[in-house]
Amino acid sequence: MTANNFFSISEERRRILLVEDDYVNQETLKASLGDIYDIVVAETGEEALEIIRAQYETLSIVLLDLNLPGISGIDVLSRIKGDPGYSRLPVIVMTADNEAEVECLTLGAIDFIPKPYPASKVILARILRIIELSEDRETLRLTERDQLTGLYNKEFFYRYVAQLDLYHKDTPADAIVFDVNHFHTYNDRYGKTRGDEILKRIANNATSYVNEAGGIVCRSVADTFMLYCKHIDNYEALLARLSACLDDDSISENRVRLRMGVYVNADKNVDIERRFDRAKMAADTARDHLTAPIGLFNHSMRETEILEEQLIDGFHAALREKQFVVYYQPKFDIEQDVPVLSSAEALVRWKHPTLGLVSPGVFIPLFEKNGLIQELDQYVWSQTASKIRDWKERLNISLPVSVNVSRINLYDPELTDKLLNITKTNGLNAKNLLLEITESAYTEKTDQIITTVKNLRKHGFFIEMDDFGCGYSSLSMLIDMPIDALKLDIQFIRSAFKEQKDTRLLEAMIGLAKSFEVPTIAEGVETAEQYAELKAMGCNTIQGYYFSRPLPEDDFEKLIVKALKKEENEC
Amino acid sequence: MLTVEKLQEYGADTKTGLSRCADNEALYLRLVGIIVQEISSGTLGEALEASDLEKAFFIAHKLKGGVNNMALTPVAEPLNKLTELLRSKIPGDYEGLYAEIICKTNELVAL
Repeated sequence: MTANNFFSISEERRRILLVEDDYVNQETLKASLGDIYDIVVAETGEEALEIIRAQYETLSIVLLDLNLPGISGIDVLSRIKGDPGYSRLPVIVMTADNEAEVECLTLGAIDFIPKPYPASKVILARILRIIELSEDRETLRLTERDQLTGLYNKEFFYRYVAQLDLYHKDTPADAIVFDVNHFHTYNDRYGKTRGDEILKRIANNATSYVNEAGGIVCRSVADTFMLYCKHIDNYEALLARLSACLDDDSISENRVRLRMGVYVNADKNVDIERRFDRAKMAADTARDHLTAPIGLFNHSMRETEILEEQLIDGFHAALREKQFVVYYQPKFDIEQDVPVLSSAEALVRWKHPTLGLVSPGVFIPLFEKNGLIQELDQYVWSQTASKIRDWKERLNISLPVSVNVSRINLYDPELTDKLLNITKTNGLNAKNLLLEITESAYTEKTDQIITTVKNLRKHGFFIEMDDFGCGYSSLSMLIDMPIDALKLDIQFIRSAFKEQKDTRLLEAMIGLAKSFEVPTIAEGVETAEQYAELKAMGCNTIQGYYFSRPLPEDDFEKLIVKALKKEENEC
Repeated sequence: MLTVEKLQEYGADTKTGLSRCADNEALYLRLVGIIVQEISSGTLGEALEASDLEKAFFIAHKLKGGVNNMALTPVAEPLNKLTELLRSKIPGDYEGLYAEIICKTNELVAL
């Protein structure tokens, strides 16, 4: 044995328990098997059971004689097979009695060796094969099942779904995905043990359902389960059944709620994984809908899915071919009597070769979800920095422009270096490129974000907290968070100025920012009334259609030239 | 001294017997010697004499296993018949069969 394979499972000698009281038979079998296997001998049934109890993990097979002193071989076999702890140990019965075969097979014997014995090589080959098969079966058992719930795991589930399809081509079937609403919160609040218990109950409920109604179920990941079953009509009843007993000994007042997505009568021509993607998509529509916890996959979701695929597929070509174009929306300082152009926000648009102008509302959330936003952000930063440089060189104008920094980029340890590199390459300083970081980013991994933001500010970058007031606001954040401006969310402005106008909160927010000596920027300002009121409230900067929509770079260039001339004239 | 050739002359199916011992002649001859000793120990005869048929069956069955595995055909024939009679508990010529077993065993001893 070489040093390489010494510590190797495949080189390990398997151990055989030989239960045989006759010395001649023992010696015969030892002669047949001893070169390949370690043989442990038990001369009675009691001794055999004792050895199994103590050494189960290292035994590969049991060779069992039926005629033993004390408890019989049949008794030994039924005790091994009746104990869930040992029942997977393969047992070969050795007998001259043909009539005993049926009884032994029924009890769980895996094979027979007749007496008188066949030639050594026959016994050896047979045992080798059975050990191989048993080990394969055990490996399969361990790998195909989720250890916590005992359900299939995703990979084997897909395989068995394919088998079901093969044998039940014409049976309509539903692909169903279900999970626990905010399970991670539940785990955090009540502990993993309690969370695991919930998952086991759900698994038991699902198993009981498929045992009755057919189909198969798996735990795909964490708290997500997948069910493939005959088409049914009443999904509420199914959800109720899957949710049964989840709150029986609940230590919380919050009910454990499942949500479910169904791809009804799933098209069997669609890839199995895709069918469950669709069910998942439907489940996602039911998130947080306590009164409507079931989502059904429909045609518009499919269209969305196709569009999203098209956008993802075209992403890198779009970067290469500069299909992403940067628009600029001006920001005006309104602290003086006359508004003064003070900066702009860079906003990306996609001029798609076949889809036309694609709204950022479509592709930004998609790229945020799959991480492509990281590359897109960096592309926009570079394009914007290059444009600022161009204006500086051609027009002698130095106008700062803000760019968005997505959450995923905030976790990039090289973020500061990348930004510094971009500004340096374009001969800019950090103050030229303002950074907008969305408020919701601050609510996750707060410490890490604060460190990143502090580091960026240390290098001279100016940080604007974007979307403030859109639902995640924590006023205490203003104390901990180092920011240079607070940008009020567009929806916040809209709701303050809607039909039944109520600007009290808006005013309080601006006042609060002022008390922290943080300037405010209002975006989405569309009317003279809004402008006037925000100015009166003490808002520092305005961005919105009232002044200008986002403009392509050429149009924006005209706007800044005009604005500068106007300023010169006024001077 | 016992040899494979002598066993063959005696009527044993030595080729089969050896194949069960991984063709190990020394082991084969040693195990045959042990079987002869077991039969000659007289335990089967004692049980039959005492009419303890259950015990007699257990001993006969055990001897039968070894004898057949070593393919000692001349002893195996009466031993198999006796074992089946004892298993089915049918009254029969136990003594005659036992005498034949002993006779064939003695032939073995004399080899």
